[in-house]
Amino acid sequence: MRTALIGGVGNVLLGDDGIGPFVLRQLESRYDFGDDVELIDLGTPALDLTHQIVGLRSLILIDSVTSDDPPGTVLLYRKDDILRIAPAERLDPHSPALSECLMTADMLGASPEHVLLVGIVGENFEPGAPLSQRLKDAIGHAIEEILKELRNLGYSFHQKTSPDVPNVWWTNDVRENSAPCP
Amino acid sequence: MAKRITIDPITRIEGHLRIDVEVDNNAVSNAWASCTMWRGIEKILRGRDPRDAWMFTQRFCGVCTTVHAMASVRSVEDALKLEVPLNAQYIRNLILIAHALHDHIVHFYQLSALDWVDVLQIPSADAAATSKLAESLSPWTRNSRNELKAAQDRVNAVASSGQLGIFANGYWGHPAMKLSPEVNLLAFSHYVQALEYQRKALQVVGILGSKTPHIQNLTVGGVANAIDLDSQAALGMDKLEMIRTLLAEVTQFVQQVYFVDVCAVASMYAEWFKIGSGVKNYLAVPDLPLDSRGSSYDLPGGYIHEGDLAEVKTFQTAADPAFRQAVTEDVIHAYYQGDKPLHPWNGETEPAFTGWDGDQKYSWVKAPRYNGEPAQVGPLAQVLIGYSQGHALTRKYTDLAIDKIAAISGIRATPAALHSTLGRHAARAIRACMLAELAQKHWQLLVDNIAKGDYSVYNQPVLPSHEVQGVGTHEAPRGTLSHWVVIKDEKIKNYQAVVPSTWNASPRDKAGARGPYEASLLRTPLARPEEPLEVLRTVHSFDPCMACACHTFDPSGRRIAVAKIL
Repeated sequence: MRTALIGGVGNVLLGDDGIGPFVLRQLESRYDFGDDVELIDLGTPALDLTHQIVGLRSLILIDSVTSDDPPGTVLLYRKDDILRIAPAERLDPHSPALSECLMTADMLGASPEHVLLVGIVGENFEPGAPLSQRLKDAIGHAIEEILKELRNLGYSFHQKTSPDVPNVWWTNDVRENSAPCP
Repeated sequence: MAKRITIDPITRIEGHLRIDVEVDNNAVSNAWASCTMWRGIEKILRGRDPRDAWMFTQRFCGVCTTVHAMASVRSVEDALKLEVPLNAQYIRNLILIAHALHDHIVHFYQLSALDWVDVLQIPSADAAATSKLAESLSPWTRNSRNELKAAQDRVNAVASSGQLGIFANGYWGHPAMKLSPEVNLLAFSHYVQALEYQRKALQVVGILGSKTPHIQNLTVGGVANAIDLDSQAALGMDKLEMIRTLLAEVTQFVQQVYFVDVCAVASMYAEWFKIGSGVKNYLAVPDLPLDSRGSSYDLPGGYIHEGDLAEVKTFQTAADPAFRQAVTEDVIHAYYQGDKPLHPWNGETEPAFTGWDGDQKYSWVKAPRYNGEPAQVGPLAQVLIGYSQGHALTRKYTDLAIDKIAAISGIRATPAALHSTLGRHAARAIRACMLAELAQKHWQLLVDNIAKGDYSVYNQPVLPSHEVQGVGTHEAPRGTLSHWVVIKDEKIKNYQAVVPSTWNASPRDKAGARGPYEASLLRTPLARPEEPLEVLRTVHSFDPCMACACHTFDPSGRRIAVAKIL
């Protein structure tokens, strides 16, 4: 039964916006987790994020962030930091909605007790662009922050003796990396 | 002197819908719809294996992932003239229905209900009176005084905290808000329940698609679900029963709550049947195929020209020549190079950004045209087309809606009143009821077909070496979606997606004809131009979807502009 969710957030087709799913795939290729921890590539879920987070004890998200800090800087945010953001005027249902989803979960009385957003400052968001080197260099740091959070909350995990090939199919021709089709 | 109002909710780097209106004597006198970011994602697909395209296209959009996956495999199947086994059609149809039900529920409650419902009136509602009112409207069993009181307590808790939290972005107390505290409470109670039922619909997508977001079970030629009635790992009776139960629960919510709420809100805001019509050319493609070739469908398609319901045109297939030959995209007012309309197979996506200029170029959205004219797409288009064609299921729920609204308000709407802001909401609820009924049907079709001993789910695609072209369509929650592919030497040579919101958010074309959003806003009355709630009501009624893109979190929560008056 899962009580912790590690979610990679971002659009893998738009350069550094895909850092969240990218880190997630690296993490799952290197570590084994118990049944209480689920790893999901969330894409860009907007309001649907609510369904993923209600009832959790711990929510850990990895996402690209905008900031004046240099690209690749890892910034950590807690629930209060996120809730401080008032929901923006909404013209469409697709705008990012992290604070709204947490507020909705709060209203339902089912908000995660522990929230950590591992933000990585992005540099290039061009369609089809590969991850910037400075973001690649930050992956180890981001993973360390995720593992530290799990450790502090008492979740167990083990490093794989031989890591799998990360399923980052969008970075190359699909058929060379994995076989999604029968 | 006209005032210019810009509604531009960008807080982050990604592109969004921006609306500019000019207001004269408290009514909209001119309007522009634009999108603020270039995507050009289609270019990523060139040179790739067409069998993999769907994996990429379902990342176009974070919310409607499924629809882009489906249109993509269909485009390649059309190019290869590849049939799809019955089981695969039914499984795909169930996924599409469940996704659409989820989407329609989210749209009404989470995106647009609070345009009509004043949350801050809820603390003064009488929960017992609300329950009594609810019982007069619907047999829904979750309208008890206790359930309503619990919803009221949730609002009280947020309101008394001094910070409005999730309700911080509404126009509370606006003079255009007209519902009684009790109706506001009832709708809000369903807003909370809607979260539960949209999740159930998503679970169906997850069970059949093995994951959501981003289903994993598609493949060009069919689906990858192994069928084994006795297995828990494969698609067997356990999972099918789970799906049936979930769909039954969602169906009940749609028919007893969502549909009734829309009729009730419509009854109390009946003047909005006269506001927001705009472009009266309507386009929809047939969907939910009933055979392997795609020659008969459960949802009708066609074209209505200038609101003339008597002369509706019928599309026989999802890739009907009358559709595939008639679509072009114009870029005169979009930030792209080129001066003549191009068919999507020949489409180009070369950016030429100039900055916003309402007389010249002002949007990243191209202007799709059907036989050279703008067209409105979405549930309203589908319902009007089906109704005009005498489609039985469309008539059944449209007539039910007209009867229900008449029973509450005493006003008998005609199908022609659907050319409006409220008409778009009513049509979406009508379509949701149709889809809910069809969900049961397609579940049964699947189970019956498997019971015959047919376990086939996939036909092997064969890529020819010569050049082929295909179009894959899907009547998505927001309307007609089409993916256009050109394949050469087993690779993608060109790929274009003409998405529903491109039709509706279209800028003007060479002839100056406005797109549906723009045209629908003209003459909209504004009680307080500095709080353009009425503009939002009409724009939201289309269920806009612009971003399909980037999702970067801005921890500063900067808001560049909400409603800026120039």
